[in-house]
Amino acid sequence: MTEVTTMRNSLHRARAALEQRPLAAAVGGVAAVLVVLWATPASWQTSTLRFAVPIALAAIGGIFAEKSGVINIGIEGLLIVSAFSAIVVVDWLGDGGATAGVPNLWWGMLIGVLVSVLFALLFAIVCLEFEADQIIAGLAVWLISLGLAPFASRILFDSPNTANITRFENVTVPVLSELPVVGYLLFDTEPQVYIMLAGAVAGWYLLSRTTFGRWVVASGENPKALDTAGVDVRKVRYAAVLLSGVFAGLGGAGFGLGTLGTFAGTGDTVINGRGFIAIATYLLANYHPIGALLGSFLFAGLNSMQSGLQAAGYAIPTELIRTIPHMSVIVVLVLVGRTRLPDAAGDHYESGED
Amino acid sequence: MSEPEPGTTDGTGPTAAVETNTAALDGTNSDLAVHLDGITKRFPGVVANDDVDLRVERGTVHALLGENGAGKTTLMNVLYGLYRPDEGRVVIDGEERTFDSPRDAIDAGIGMIHQHFMLVDPMTVAENIALGNEPTKWFGMAVDRDRIDREVRDLCDRYGFEVDPDATVENVSVGVQQRVEILKALFRGADVLILDEPTAVLTPQEVEGLYDVLEELTAQGKTIIFITHKLEEATHAADAITVLRDGESVGTVDPDRTDREALAERMVGREVILEADSDPVETGDTVLSTRDVTVEDDRGVEVVSGIDLDVRAGEILGIAGVDGNGQAELIEAITGLRLPDEGRINYAGDDITTWSRRRRIENGMAYIPEDRQERGLVMPFDLVENGVLGSQRSGRFASGGRIDWPGVRDHAEEIIETYDVRPPDANADARSFSGGNQQKFIVGREFERDPSLVVATHPTRGVDIGSTEFIHDRLLELRREGVAVLLVSSKLDEIRSLSDRLAVMYEGEFIDVTDPDAVTEEELGLRMAGQRPDGEADRHPNPGESR
Repeated sequence: MTEVTTMRNSLHRARAALEQRPLAAAVGGVAAVLVVLWATPASWQTSTLRFAVPIALAAIGGIFAEKSGVINIGIEGLLIVSAFSAIVVVDWLGDGGATAGVPNLWWGMLIGVLVSVLFALLFAIVCLEFEADQIIAGLAVWLISLGLAPFASRILFDSPNTANITRFENVTVPVLSELPVVGYLLFDTEPQVYIMLAGAVAGWYLLSRTTFGRWVVASGENPKALDTAGVDVRKVRYAAVLLSGVFAGLGGAGFGLGTLGTFAGTGDTVINGRGFIAIATYLLANYHPIGALLGSFLFAGLNSMQSGLQAAGYAIPTELIRTIPHMSVIVVLVLVGRTRLPDAAGDHYESGED
Repeated sequence: MSEPEPGTTDGTGPTAAVETNTAALDGTNSDLAVHLDGITKRFPGVVANDDVDLRVERGTVHALLGENGAGKTTLMNVLYGLYRPDEGRVVIDGEERTFDSPRDAIDAGIGMIHQHFMLVDPMTVAENIALGNEPTKWFGMAVDRDRIDREVRDLCDRYGFEVDPDATVENVSVGVQQRVEILKALFRGADVLILDEPTAVLTPQEVEGLYDVLEELTAQGKTIIFITHKLEEATHAADAITVLRDGESVGTVDPDRTDREALAERMVGREVILEADSDPVETGDTVLSTRDVTVEDDRGVEVVSGIDLDVRAGEILGIAGVDGNGQAELIEAITGLRLPDEGRINYAGDDITTWSRRRRIENGMAYIPEDRQERGLVMPFDLVENGVLGSQRSGRFASGGRIDWPGVRDHAEEIIETYDVRPPDANADARSFSGGNQQKFIVGREFERDPSLVVATHPTRGVDIGSTEFIHDRLLELRREGVAVLLVSSKLDEIRSLSDRLAVMYEGEFIDVTDPDAVTEEELGLRMAGQRPDGEADRHPNPGESR
């Protein structure tokens, strides 16, 4: 145990030192990224980006909910319902076609997000109006989704797995995609990756620079202060939870339509705990949206690595290999964990009560 | 005088300065910033305010003095729009107003500084000041941080505050946090500031600082109403004092024409002995001693560094200090709630360092905890159940795992009667009692254990003078009976008048152990801020700063 503590402490010292020197941190970060990009195959890199989508977007959504004081562990469920409903919509409208001039994939995206927001709304009502325990309500969202998606799939497709659809194609940004090193990664990729990158920047801006973001933070730290300042805490929390539904919906639908092209409903479904990894990711990032994006690369990268290991056919049981991303979550949280939870996270707030 | 007009985002427009209304309506004196006329506020079963008049002149400090439950806070909540009065009028600047919410009161130029600060710790001073009223730029797309910064600096310049707008609130001292609260009200254009028990959390030096701030504010035309139950503050800082008792106003007095005894009598309704008597008595054997006790807090930071102390039978040892200097952790180590990292604790001849809490209770250690709602009582339990907490296994109340409920009930009712807990209803949940009455019940329960050591932390925090006097008397009575008492308090007058010996704790160490009569309040305040008695320079100039 002492070794762990020592390692942890030195990591914290390193982090504190870097926080003192943002320029050095930025230079070091860029250098580290370059080294990774140089040392790894391009296929692994693109795969990492695509598998980061549900983790990063769900994490950013989770940040808003939890920062406002509502711990939304139901984001796993939101990923499931949005991925599933997006695929169903595309299959129903016609694979590869367009409706009202808009490609069906984008209708799938829209409906996936709406279904996720609907589930987030139910969760918000249960927590904010009926004062349900947020953890129990979040688990309920997950369990309901876990049962509902495969059930609906059986009715629609006679199988827990949906039909296959044609996935999003790469969108190539002219000129920028010719950039050395990052061009092929960031500017010649699929729409859901662009959404993820834009979502992280938008999430950061919204949280740290806008009035709404400041209210979200105040609502999670000291709702009474926000209330006495004349802002309706309940409205802020509703907005934040619905926003977590939007982000998780983008992540789930984008993952289904762009990365997978199908929804497998067996076991823990194809989402397979990515929503929970997202929670670990934002805790690791201490609620910073950009940090959550980078953290999602770590876990998605490990996931791609374990897929590679499985394919390579070493004499290690695949079950064991498959645990690598999940085990690494625990290791990373133990080593780096210095999360400061919002003071009022998990507490119900009622205006006018002492 | 131009007020800052931060743009608001809710579309109601800037919080403009309250218009000056020279036309006095129906004979109301237009020099009155606030006139509460015949306010009556009833709650089920209680009349919290009964036909109360309050006239506050513009540019003055007006104290609202009264005991707990006298109706001070209710009256101010009426003024701040939290309650609608059942009868009576609220007149602001000669104009009758009806407030449906604090928002209306804020718009009318009224600001309230709550006893428990309404601040968001991890946000900056500037962000806190603007919270809910952030000016924006780019069509509402971004908070205009430059503008907030500029306006906060302007306010600081005008009123002579030294506050860094970019500092994080959790890293500044309590005194500065209070100024942030005042700035918050001023930022919203407040002309009348209500301060609820503003000195409760301050060191003596910070209290002096607060008085200066109040003077500066009134000099610039602001009006201050401050709620207190402390006589010294009312007489020291106020231009006029209105006394409330049992929901009724018992008159407004000029502090220069009255004395503390008269005020106390007016406030309590009977004669009060203000100075607790602590004639020296014979002390006996050492009951509690600690040697080199070192304690770490939850984060693993050493907060108690090698404390040696001795408390003898029939003696009160006081520990003074600003909250957060290790007193809490030291007390937890002594009472068995936290294991010390080093050192020994001896009690009545036994080494109890590793004794369980239960064993300590059974051996006559009574404990009045700092946080009565966290540790003193179980809030959803009634007083019958709360009365037996800690004694649930003692032969007096239980046998063979069964609790003797009729006996426990009698015991609770006895405490309620002896310690004057109101309302006298043993079946009521602990949470339904006011803080002062909860405290009286805890004190009663602990004193009735027949202890040989009483560890009392802030035994009169939030308790009115009538009950304070009673608790002090009981403490002194126990001491006369030969009980050892370890008293922690941040109230200087309390700790000086009760203690036989007084230790000042600063950053985990005893700076000084002295005869309380040998030091002035001023010296004590300096020691609480870390200055050693030999005048050695303070090594840590900012005790309130973060580690």
